[in-house]
Amino acid sequence: MNSADTASPQWAAGVCAGVHAAGSRHVVYVPDNPLSHVLRILADRYPDIQTTLATREEEAFGIAAGLYLGGVRPTVMLQSSGLGNALNALTSLLLPYQIPVLILISLRGDAGEWNAAQVPMGRAARAICDAIGVTHTTAESPETTAETVHLVGRTAFGTRMPGVCLLPRRLTVPLATEVTK
Amino acid sequence: MNRLDATRQLVAAIGHDPGTPIIASLGHPAYDLFAAGDRPANFYTWGSMGLASSIGLGLALARPALRVFVVDGDGSLLMNLGSLATMGWTRPENLVLIVWDNEGYGTTGGQETATAHGADLEAAARAMGLSALTVRVEKEFGAAIARARTTPGPWVIVAKVRESGPDTKPPLDCVFIKQRFMAAIGTPEGATRGASIG
Ligand SMILES: Cc1ncc(C[n+]2csc(CCOP(=O)(O)OP(=O)(O)O)c2C)c(N)n1
Ligand SMILES: [Mg+2]
Repeated sequence: MNSADTASPQWAAGVCAGVHAAGSRHVVYVPDNPLSHVLRILADRYPDIQTTLATREEEAFGIAAGLYLGGVRPTVMLQSSGLGNALNALTSLLLPYQIPVLILISLRGDAGEWNAAQVPMGRAARAICDAIGVTHTTAESPETTAETVHLVGRTAFGTRMPGVCLLPRRLTVPLATEVTK
Repeated sequence: MNRLDATRQLVAAIGHDPGTPIIASLGHPAYDLFAAGDRPANFYTWGSMGLASSIGLGLALARPALRVFVVDGDGSLLMNLGSLATMGWTRPENLVLIVWDNEGYGTTGGQETATAHGADLEAAARAMGLSALTVRVEKEFGAAIARARTTPGPWVIVAKVRESGPDTKPPLDCVFIKQRFMAAIGTPEGATRGASIG
């Protein structure tokens, strides 16, 4: 992989294309390291997608709910650790009011993790989604990420339910480009 | 002033426009908004403690031509103080955050909040770069609403209120609240509109 590819990896370009194809024009986020690629591509190539940084993931979902009420299809991007910060917003706002949000979770704690503090929540992320009744789909490869994100978004906005697309570490930080940040 | 009287004053001042949204924090702030005058453009939250200001912020960003009012509680805002920082950064001119500061968690039995012990929500809002003021009587509150309606915000109005002890509750059906609200503010949800086939 040359340095241009590292700066703009295919999976991250796919995330942006999928968000756009799903009709989402506002991304509310708390950053993490892999998501920085998505943010850079959004800033460089998607002038019609607005981004808002939240101080906490729970707040991001509140802002997203308000955007939806105002007629915008919102995306929320977070790290799996932030799922823990956001649970009450999902269970007491998005689910009972049937407010759809395309949720992109950068997964930590899965294969390739080096930080023990990321492991318990990363390992639990899918089971937590199952327990609260939020569907989740995993982006499996750089080539299919755009389609997966698009489909998760289309399902969320079509059925008026939040939907999660998980971005696993083997996708976002393949061994050849491993960074310990 | 108590919270119900102040809520009535707010609804009397802005409620005549059927498209002006009011987002209410869970518990007594929502109950008093319902008691002051149920209207489709009221969005009653039944949970998500702390997020009323965030919902208002998102709506204000999505709909710059609407003036968005939020009635929050002091305990709820204390749970999501970061919201003030995000408001200070994004600065939607059309957002008015009213905080009913009864210095307690009225809904759960009146336990004191930190505002009963020196925490100053007006100062917190100012520290985040927001225009903020504290009001204690009807006359001050009326003047604050009038200013917030007509001059660029975002505004934070901390209203020191007494507990009102509401005896009614808003509608319980969350989807009904949402769909009625969205239709009232001019963004009816697609699924409620019907469409041609094909
Ligand atoms: C996450 C969460 N924690 C606690 C509660 C219980 N609870 C419901 S209303 C409330 C108090 C809200 O206080 P405030 O926002 O000041 O409003 P007030 O009742 O004083 O008008 C609490 C603690 C809850 N519903 N959700
Ligand atoms: Mg209170």
